[in-house]
Amino acid sequence: MELYNLSGYELSKKLESKEISSKELTEDVFERIESVEGKVDAYVTLDKENALKKAAEVDEKRASGEKLSRLAGLPVGIKDNISTRNLRTTCSSKMLENYIPPFNATVMDKLNGEDIVITGKLNMDEFAMGSSTETSYFKKTKNPFDETRIPGGSSGGSAAAVSAGEAIMALGSDTGGSIRQPASYCGVVGLKPTYGAVSRFGLVAFASSLDQIGPIGRTVKDTAMLYSAICGFDKMDATSKNMSHPDYLVNLKSDVKGLRIGVPKEYFSKGIDENVKSAVLSAVKVLEQNGAVVKEVSLPSTEYALNAYYIISSAEASSNLARYDGVKYGYRAKDYDDLTDMYEKTRSEGFGDEVKRRIMLGTFVLSSGYYDAYYKKARLLQRRISKEFCDVFKEVDLLAAPTVPSTAFKIGENIDNPLKMYATDVCTVTINIAGLPAISVPCGYDEAGLPIGLQLISDKFNEQTLLNTAECYENIMGGFKRPVL
Amino acid sequence: MGIDIKHIAKLSRLYIEDEKVEKFESDMLGIVQMVENLPDVEDEPLLDPANPMTLREDKAEGGKYSRDELTRNAPHVTAGCLVVPKTVE
Amino acid sequence: MVKGYEVVIGLETHAELNTESKIYCSCKNQFGLEVNTQVCPICMGMPGALPTLNEKVVDYAIKMGHALNCKINSVCKQDRKNYFYPDLPKAYQISQAEVPLCENGYVDVYVDGEERRIGITRIHIEEDAGKLLHSDKFSGSLVDLNRCGVPLIEIVSEPDMRSSAEAKAYLETLKSILQYLDICDCKMQEGSIRCDVNVSVHKPGEPLGTRSEMKNVNSFSAAVRGIDYEVNRQIELLESGSKVVQETRRWDDDKGISVSMRSKEDAQDYRYFPEPDLLTIVVDKDRINALKAEIPELPNKKLIRYIKEFGLSLKEATAISENVAKANFFDECVASGEVSPKSVCNWLLGDIAKYENANNIAITETPVTPQKLVELIKVIESGKISNAAGKTVFEVIIKEDKEIEDVIKEKSLAQVSDLSALEAIANEVLSSNEKSINDYKSGKTNALGFLVGQCMKASKGKANPSMMKEIILKKIEG
Repeated sequence: MELYNLSGYELSKKLESKEISSKELTEDVFERIESVEGKVDAYVTLDKENALKKAAEVDEKRASGEKLSRLAGLPVGIKDNISTRNLRTTCSSKMLENYIPPFNATVMDKLNGEDIVITGKLNMDEFAMGSSTETSYFKKTKNPFDETRIPGGSSGGSAAAVSAGEAIMALGSDTGGSIRQPASYCGVVGLKPTYGAVSRFGLVAFASSLDQIGPIGRTVKDTAMLYSAICGFDKMDATSKNMSHPDYLVNLKSDVKGLRIGVPKEYFSKGIDENVKSAVLSAVKVLEQNGAVVKEVSLPSTEYALNAYYIISSAEASSNLARYDGVKYGYRAKDYDDLTDMYEKTRSEGFGDEVKRRIMLGTFVLSSGYYDAYYKKARLLQRRISKEFCDVFKEVDLLAAPTVPSTAFKIGENIDNPLKMYATDVCTVTINIAGLPAISVPCGYDEAGLPIGLQLISDKFNEQTLLNTAECYENIMGGFKRPVL
Repeated sequence: MGIDIKHIAKLSRLYIEDEKVEKFESDMLGIVQMVENLPDVEDEPLLDPANPMTLREDKAEGGKYSRDELTRNAPHVTAGCLVVPKTVE
Repeated sequence: MVKGYEVVIGLETHAELNTESKIYCSCKNQFGLEVNTQVCPICMGMPGALPTLNEKVVDYAIKMGHALNCKINSVCKQDRKNYFYPDLPKAYQISQAEVPLCENGYVDVYVDGEERRIGITRIHIEEDAGKLLHSDKFSGSLVDLNRCGVPLIEIVSEPDMRSSAEAKAYLETLKSILQYLDICDCKMQEGSIRCDVNVSVHKPGEPLGTRSEMKNVNSFSAAVRGIDYEVNRQIELLESGSKVVQETRRWDDDKGISVSMRSKEDAQDYRYFPEPDLLTIVVDKDRINALKAEIPELPNKKLIRYIKEFGLSLKEATAISENVAKANFFDECVASGEVSPKSVCNWLLGDIAKYENANNIAITETPVTPQKLVELIKVIESGKISNAAGKTVFEVIIKEDKEIEDVIKEKSLAQVSDLSALEAIANEVLSSNEKSINDYKSGKTNALGFLVGQCMKASKGKANPSMMKEIILKKIEG
């Protein structure tokens, strides 16, 4: 049986009933990896040895009658910007090619507590800067639906691995769409949680005020299951929200009756492909036919969100990435004359061009004489955008929009055109700017068979409504298509 | 407007090769021209008192990590210290 | 005024707070441990590590704010100051720029017999950097990150000081306030207080001159030397027709000179922006008031009170007020109302100080309580025991927890004030010192002292000396 093809939810039941062992499952997933990884290139680091060891451990625990978590024994892949103790964490950068963290991210401690099996570390855009996973120093990940196309980014490895069956589920991170956009391109489900819902401790920072770790799964249930395991207050992260979370899987209700769905008109304007627009609108129609109440709403400042996003995220990145100086860890240039020369050569040789562009943009918008006109203005605009969402959520329970304006583009197509690349984030960045949760679920395919994503957005800490709606949609559609590899 | 890419690179401790300066400059200019389109907003301090932070209790917890563990990733270590090019004459 | 120029000085003072843990992580805040052993992924700036703010740091800074009469901003935030240096692992220092925790205060200092009010622009919290170690034997520099994340408050003064003496008085006042609040160890040799000095000079009536900023000033005496050097350097420049340039200079205390570090043109662009890893700091009004209630009477206030109310000299008042334990001891003695402040002062700065120094111990660590000192002074001033006997009692009670009465009895130190007993001693001495009596009568008045001395000797020091003197006088003058 091809175990890798089953959902995490189904596998969890089989493991619990001892119909299968975690060792069998893990071996099956690694077999799958061996057969398709050559085409997909989703992983930066595989950790088969420890994965099998862990699987055997879980099986032993289960055999001894220990009560285990529902995630116990499930093979999960981790984006390579999440700190894993004693397992290389590169951020897909030459800078951290050999960096072995001495500590675990809080989410890793949580997942280890749930006895998951870690398959390895997944490829991404370098330091999560990019929308195609092409800026990775190591390799270009391919879209499992079409190997000539990009999987999206920055969590391209995570979405591609889950889509291709190289992991049952995966963790990604989302700063401006980095979970939702690749989930959309790869035909899987990706949740960007509310800012503060999941601890960022151990997530290598790109833009601290926007970054969130989130789950990627092939089904809504899997996504809910993984999300429940990673969310919650962490005293190590001052920005994490001190609150209790429900069990999102147990509380999952496949029902949209009476649900008020807003369709924000600004998300369907210029630049959105017709087939994307129509797929998203027919998904909304399906929800309406099943009892949801749909109305058009407006978020007037949306047009500025992308600009504010690139200012804020680059500013924070320029500061967050300054620590890579060749002193404490990471790459150091071989030849240099003095301290400044060492800094400059180390950073110029260790970072790729996109990272350099963002660092320089961030440095520029923070530099003397420009701070007020760029950074401060963007931050003030951020408040206005949040306020507009706040007002809209008085009228509706959630918003429906495209995740990305188009389907996956060709590898190399946009690599020399940063502006075109940045424009693919137009539907997702606003949600990070406002700190809201959003989920991307497959809602159709273009004429080439490439997946299209429906993005559902809710008010802060209302992930349950997002998951419920997505679950309902998945059930109505009878599940999502899998790529053929 | 123009962007002094060399100055920005210097501030960022990046070195841009001469042949790449032009490309970076035009990319940057394009990006800056895109992002500078922002509406006027009323100026105020960037404070968010509705969303305050919980502070940490003042308690020391040492010994979680050994020095070797914390310095094992460093490119150059001598006698437990990180080594850098000389900072004074 | 120096050579016809007015001097304008402003100080930025950094004080390390004596919290148990560091400002943004739980590493121990302790000086002098083995290199890179008091660090963790957070203070080493490892990828993904995040800061959390120590509540004591906020409390301590607010206390200092109250002590310096500042407005406390109950809503404030932290900002990143970005620059590259090997002792700064994150390549930014978490500090406060836009809204500091405390601002708009002042402190009164006492200089040249008068009170001077120095404005306090702001007090903010921030983290210390690590240390670079250099050796001639080694081609590189070594980085020790133990000090990274040690909590600091930066106290920025207004440019209100007019001489190096004022700057010194200001720094000493800050130091004693920090000690009174018990928020800083104030160990200068360990660098727990450091300052940057801004100096400019101008002719009276003319606009302010261009200022220079001097860094690396590690003691108060170095501040005085640095300021005097800088004032002279600037005056010489102006007198010779050149200009003072705005720049950052480094004070080299060994050589006694300042050298240019960087000019205004290549001034650092720190690119401050709000620290996104930390949210807004909101301090409850009740908490702010509770911290205010914890502020004791401060040394600068005490100093002025001691001079004005008790008539102590500046030197005496300073010596007592600058040490919180000594000042409290003094205040308690005086509060008894049974002895004069001057006598208490004499003891504290005399025998007690001598004992403290010789034994490297504080009065509060000995069995001598304020009550005992008051009692001792009383038995001496009432004439029950002599001054000399008082010293003997002191030597016992400073070591052993004994009642003064018991010591006097044990050592039979009580003075003889009984008239007939004293007359008997006088008769005996006078009968065997005919020559001295004649000497006195012939005008050699110091013979009287000799005779009294002989009487004291005969009484083994117990005779009341003033009574003795009167009796002798009466007898020889007839």
